[in-house]
Amino acid sequence: MAENSSKKIISKDVEIKNLQVWYGPVHAVKGIDLSIKAGSITTILGANGAGKSTTLKALAGGVKYTGSISVGGEAIDTLPVHKRVESGIVLCPEGRGIFYSMTVKENLLAGAYRTKKVDYSSVLDIFPVLKDRVNQIAGTLSGGEQQMLAIARALMSNPSYLLLDEPSLGLAPVIIQKIAEVIKTINGSGITVVLVEQNTSLALSIANYAYVFENGKVALHGKPSELLKSDAIREKYLGGVAK
Amino acid sequence: MMNQIILGLSTGATYSLVAIGLVMMYKVSGVMNFAYANMGMFVTYLIWWLATSFGMNLYVSIAIGIIFAAAMGVVVERYGLRPIRHLSHASMLIVTFGILMILEGLAMQIWGTDYKAFPELITGSPYVFRGDFGIFVLRRQDILIFSILIAVSIALLIFTRYTKFGIAVRAVSENEEIAGYMGINVGSVLAFSWGFGASMAAVVGIVAAPKVFVSPTMLTYYQIQGFTAAVLGGFETFTGAVFGGLILGVIEKLVGNYISEGFKATISLVIIIIVLIFFPKGLFGRNVRGRA
Repeated sequence: MAENSSKKIISKDVEIKNLQVWYGPVHAVKGIDLSIKAGSITTILGANGAGKSTTLKALAGGVKYTGSISVGGEAIDTLPVHKRVESGIVLCPEGRGIFYSMTVKENLLAGAYRTKKVDYSSVLDIFPVLKDRVNQIAGTLSGGEQQMLAIARALMSNPSYLLLDEPSLGLAPVIIQKIAEVIKTINGSGITVVLVEQNTSLALSIANYAYVFENGKVALHGKPSELLKSDAIREKYLGGVAK
Repeated sequence: MMNQIILGLSTGATYSLVAIGLVMMYKVSGVMNFAYANMGMFVTYLIWWLATSFGMNLYVSIAIGIIFAAAMGVVVERYGLRPIRHLSHASMLIVTFGILMILEGLAMQIWGTDYKAFPELITGSPYVFRGDFGIFVLRRQDILIFSILIAVSIALLIFTRYTKFGIAVRAVSENEEIAGYMGINVGSVLAFSWGFGASMAAVVGIVAAPKVFVSPTMLTYYQIQGFTAAVLGGFETFTGAVFGGLILGVIEKLVGNYISEGFKATISLVIIIIVLIFFPKGLFGRNVRGRA
């Protein structure tokens, strides 16, 4: 990130229009419109099966979709997944998905596959816990460390857009707090973050804008402060999170 | 005994080379290539043909043959397997069976079924060592095979540990989807694994041909032994493939020499069954927590 912090990341607004995804006969995403402001943290909330992860995967180019995704007005729909990484969009998938049999350093190198200059130190500065463990086999790390590694690995590609799929899943509250801080640090360096979360309070505490998905559609969206104002909305979508 | 072990190691080194190719293809694409031996056979014919019918220099023929093998591996993966990757695993196995038969049929049509002699790459009298341990003999061809195995092993070690593409190969073999999200072009890794594997098949053909002669079924036995070696090694690691081959070579030689030559082929099948029952991850299989 040293490179990133000295040379502020320039990202552009992302527009998703009428996004639809089918998994065989299942209509998982049913026409979603989404605007992601450059440099923001945008969160996508909703129950299981609402289409959150699928939307992230479509943005990363990992699933077939109809509709359009554009970055700074330019359509990226024809770009395959590895080209999207090259253009700065990287997905940190749900369930961490680290390469368990490889060392921490090898995982990071895999993340840097599309970059010309491999810079471990600036990424490791954000994750000091990984610094002492670069030669450790990733499968032997704790759950929290594995999640840190997954995010660190994604950052190795020098992204402009970081798509995080449920980074808090299965982690202790104290670790979740650390992850939240890390996300804020990353965003502070200029990287646009799209955060899919079931942990509503975490997501709303750090996001600039939030979308709530229901059954493959956008049920509502707005600034976290606005969403939290309505009692009905809090009860229905946000699990009764305190104002 | 010592000589038997050395002979066993030499044959075993060839099995290791077979296993390395099979493991590379399997690790990355998840497909057991039944056409492996016939890919090697076809290329060995091609090399023999270029050298004898066209009077081409043997080493130039070998270079062309290995390049052809790599191209064949890439084409088979890209156009034979990748279009059906989303179907069942069995469909891909059937494709490799189809290629096995096509190559055998083609070889018979073009070159006939009679055995063709293939030269040893290094000739000369064997080295004889005398000492307290007795006398043992090291043939030059054995030294060549050991050298190839050592060179391939070291190259693979450096490639998979220290190069970006090598790391990408391991990443794809562990989790194809995630590797894609890291920006790794999964297609090119798949193609590479088959190109590499087919080249190894060609190398096996070249080193085995002086002993077994060139014929449409010249490498069938090597495929079975290479498969056994890979199973012994756990089918996951190259280290396993190397040691699996060497161990199998020695066992086979000792069984052939001290029990019965006829029992030699059966022993590998017995080993497969024993290993799969008692060591399902092979003798060198790794237990990795959280492995998908």
